[in-house]
Amino acid sequence: MDVTFVDSAAILGSSRLHAASAGAKVAAFTLVLATVVVTNDVLVLLSALVLLLALAAGMGMPLRRMVPLALYPAVFAAVFAFASAPSALSAILIVGKAVTAALAGVVLMFSTPYPQVFGIVQRFVPGIVGDALLMTYRSLFLLAEKLASLSTAIKLRSGLSGRQPIRAFRATTRALGGLLLYALDLSQREYDVLRLRGYERRLRVRALPSADVAMDRALLVGAAGLLGITITVRAVPEAVGIYSWMLAALSLLTLAVTATVRRRKS
Amino acid sequence: MSHIHIPDGVLPVWLWGAGWLVALVALMIASRISERESVRRKVPLLGVISALVLVAMSTEIVPIAYHVNLTVIAGAILGPWMSIISAFVVQVILALLGHGGVTVIGLNTIQTATEMILGWLLFRAFVRVLGRPRVRWAAAITTVLTLAVTTTMLVGLVALAGAGPAAMRETGALNPATLRFGNPLDGGVVNVGLFGGGEHAAEEESHADESPLSVTRFAAVVYTLGPIGWLLEALVTAGVLGYVARVRPSLVFEGGLAEAEPPHFGDEHGRH
Repeated sequence: MDVTFVDSAAILGSSRLHAASAGAKVAAFTLVLATVVVTNDVLVLLSALVLLLALAAGMGMPLRRMVPLALYPAVFAAVFAFASAPSALSAILIVGKAVTAALAGVVLMFSTPYPQVFGIVQRFVPGIVGDALLMTYRSLFLLAEKLASLSTAIKLRSGLSGRQPIRAFRATTRALGGLLLYALDLSQREYDVLRLRGYERRLRVRALPSADVAMDRALLVGAAGLLGITITVRAVPEAVGIYSWMLAALSLLTLAVTATVRRRKS
Repeated sequence: MSHIHIPDGVLPVWLWGAGWLVALVALMIASRISERESVRRKVPLLGVISALVLVAMSTEIVPIAYHVNLTVIAGAILGPWMSIISAFVVQVILALLGHGGVTVIGLNTIQTATEMILGWLLFRAFVRVLGRPRVRWAAAITTVLTLAVTTTMLVGLVALAGAGPAAMRETGALNPATLRFGNPLDGGVVNVGLFGGGEHAAEEESHADESPLSVTRFAAVVYTLGPIGWLLEALVTAGVLGYVARVRPSLVFEGGLAEAEPPHFGDEHGRH
């Protein structure tokens, strides 16, 4: 999980998705999530997944870095599906739900700076929780970087190899212990900064206005439309469900077109 | 098992809804208590320890689908109330990065917070019983017991969720036999006939025992793979807490808000 890359992609990106407001993107994300929760049709789920991929491809987002992140929960979902699903098709549905929901989250985080997303979450949670969210994300970068350098140091000095597992294990636990001590020192430094700046129980995040209102609307209409279709397919499966392949075909066509346009542009 | 790796839309709505409710109530109480004093010190501490747990969780041991959690360490340092806040923060960030569902944040918070609080409680008890020199043993036993309890909680959750199709129809859960989610408005508890299809209820009930979500198989898998993870986690926790107990004992025995003690020169090897 390369959080530094996620953050730089969100801040430096210049696509229309990046220009949309955080509120619209979080609302669209919620609607896509509702689609994942409501759907029981593998083809509708596939359509949602493909449309998300098409959106990311069309906006020129780094798919090679995004897709592995979205596939990460598939490993755990597959274990759950293997352990409890009664058929291959239901296992596909379980894994598909994990990947689609994860991709929606990854698209949001790759296109929106984290303070903007957490600023929205902050409105619904107690002050200390909202502040802890912001502090955690900030510390995550520092600790991930520190762990990477500690791992390199261990490789060079102790040798993290399969041939000496006990030695490597000892070195790893010492590195984690060192990381814990570093984390505590970091917390002390952050406390000093908060005291200097006169922190009074709330870190304020200024919401950035939308730079592309049309995109905001398109996202909301698209996500609401997808949820609407999903609810219809679930409510009247006999009448509408048999046509869900058309939605899947349309989404695949959309992905093909956006991929072609993207290739030509690059 | 610090959090359930079950995607959105698989567990019944009542279950994850109840999870959110319990987690939010616990979060409100924990926030109110934590905000009473020294918030300036607590916010950065919460941030770094939650980040540490996230960094640990991002390293996966693929063959057994396991990652180190460091939740017992986090619990020992944060104490019970801040642990609840930290558990919630960790789960929100994990969900946004695609690891763990958004709907199951509540259940995951309960799971992680239980692990941290139990870790804090048992670790203190075992240190008292075994003595400070055996801090590694205390940490290892605590971790195994804590993970065994939370893994059993996970199996309990799946058992609650994995009732037969008739119950699923009433709770909104996925019916694996038909690949349909139960519609709570479709017969059963509230029979309003909004979406039609009530005539299938009797048919579903007749298949109720044929293909329920296999709790037995799920339990067999997690209790087979789980102990490998518990052992790994126990070794890491014991190693880390043992190391920190040598260089900063107050941190381990008094918590993260304790003042750092001055170094004892000539005691670099931790013979205290």
